[in-house]
Amino acid sequence: MQSLGFSYAIEPVLKKLYPDPGEYESRMRLHLEYFNTQPYLASFILGATVRLEQDRAQGKNPVADIRNIKTSLMAPLGALGDSYFWGALRPFAAITATALLFTGWWWAPLFFLILFNFWHIRLRASVLFWGYVNSGDPVDLMDRYRFTKMAKLFKVLSLSLVGGIAAILPAWSTTFRPLVPLPGLFLAFAGMLLMLLFIVLLRKGGSPVKLMLGLVIVCLGLAFLGVV
Amino acid sequence: MMTLFDVHMILAILGIACIGGLIGLDRTAAGQFMISEPIVSGPLTGWILGDIGAGIVIGTVLELIWVLDIPIGTFVPADSTFSAICATAIAALGSTGAAGPSTIGFCILLTTVMVPCTMMADTIVRKRNARLADVPCASLILVYAGITRAHLKGLFFFFLKSFILFLILVPAGILAVQGLHQLPGFIQRGMAFFVTMLPLLGMAIIASKLSTTVLDGFLLMGFSVAVVAGTLLQAPLILVFLLVLAVGWLLVRYRDQA
Repeated sequence: MQSLGFSYAIEPVLKKLYPDPGEYESRMRLHLEYFNTQPYLASFILGATVRLEQDRAQGKNPVADIRNIKTSLMAPLGALGDSYFWGALRPFAAITATALLFTGWWWAPLFFLILFNFWHIRLRASVLFWGYVNSGDPVDLMDRYRFTKMAKLFKVLSLSLVGGIAAILPAWSTTFRPLVPLPGLFLAFAGMLLMLLFIVLLRKGGSPVKLMLGLVIVCLGLAFLGVV
Repeated sequence: MMTLFDVHMILAILGIACIGGLIGLDRTAAGQFMISEPIVSGPLTGWILGDIGAGIVIGTVLELIWVLDIPIGTFVPADSTFSAICATAIAALGSTGAAGPSTIGFCILLTTVMVPCTMMADTIVRKRNARLADVPCASLILVYAGITRAHLKGLFFFFLKSFILFLILVPAGILAVQGLHQLPGFIQRGMAFFVTMLPLLGMAIIASKLSTTVLDGFLLMGFSVAVVAGTLLQAPLILVFLLVLAVGWLLVRYRDQA
């Protein structure tokens, strides 16, 4: 499906560069071939492809192997983008918004959208032009945007916030309140211990769905025994 | 049953199926501006149906549980957007007034059980849409028109998948919620306790995916700072979280320099 999106995006450029219908169609067919990468970093490949197509049409680089360049960029940028956007930035935005919800800021979902989109739209637009400027050099991209360093920072800040939220979580209730009262020391430590137990179970191969179902059984059991 | 599914209820289900189908497009097919994330789509659905509180709770819990279920390669993750919208719609439409904690817990459980069905539907539509790129290739003259048509077809199939699933599963869920109210009291207490435990599970899922150790140093630091500043010094929560972020950032800088 991404090849369709890619062809749709590059079509106006190809139409301008190749007035001959036969040449235009053969270039469009090339860009309809299999393409799959991280959707935001696809902008970088798009920018680079526009530059290479332009050079090819103007005779500056008639032998540019655009198919090969696209294929070689797809996998590494896919891995980089998945780790940065899905594995670091999105969890960070979500956990920050969750922390804000616990403080009683009901507009936290809007904050999540602003935080994520401010970062992602800026990068999405920027890498499109950077791909055009450097003709798709991935090393240059890594140097300029420091994806790995930023991903590490987002992950560490997310983990710190998870620890902070764990300390106040035992006081959480399903009724949305503007001010969440803080739990006592005993409850805070009990919450943390329970979270560590969940982490151990997850490490032993438990999936989120299985753990949720297991948790339901435990909760129903405790309610049946009159503990809760 | 006839009184439950009156014209008002049927219109509400049709409306939420349309809105849910459109929000679902943001997940894979158009934009990806994260409106489809549970923390946004849950409260949005709750606001539309008049129970924003249930939407916030369901959205937050499901966000924590599914945020790191990442679409790597050809892996199709759980459809958390569908779960959030469906659970909120069932909770809001199946309750008179604001949904209680037991109803919220039950709705989250229901949509969790639905996850394999929604993943299967998602996989089928994705496979079908992957074949759409062949359509423009067949057209020798109107390549661009073919691409535009294929795009619209792909969007329509994604929308249709969500729309049909909402039309089937929301009414089924509402009926199930009616059944919940007839069950013994301990089940309702158990469900209410379940929903208060879920954020802890969500936090554990995130921590286990972000760190390779059970007791990560940064996790422990965040907890310690929150206990000292929040519980012992009684600082406002927003200050506690800002402090946690500041200490985390300083530690990263110190580690990098060292």
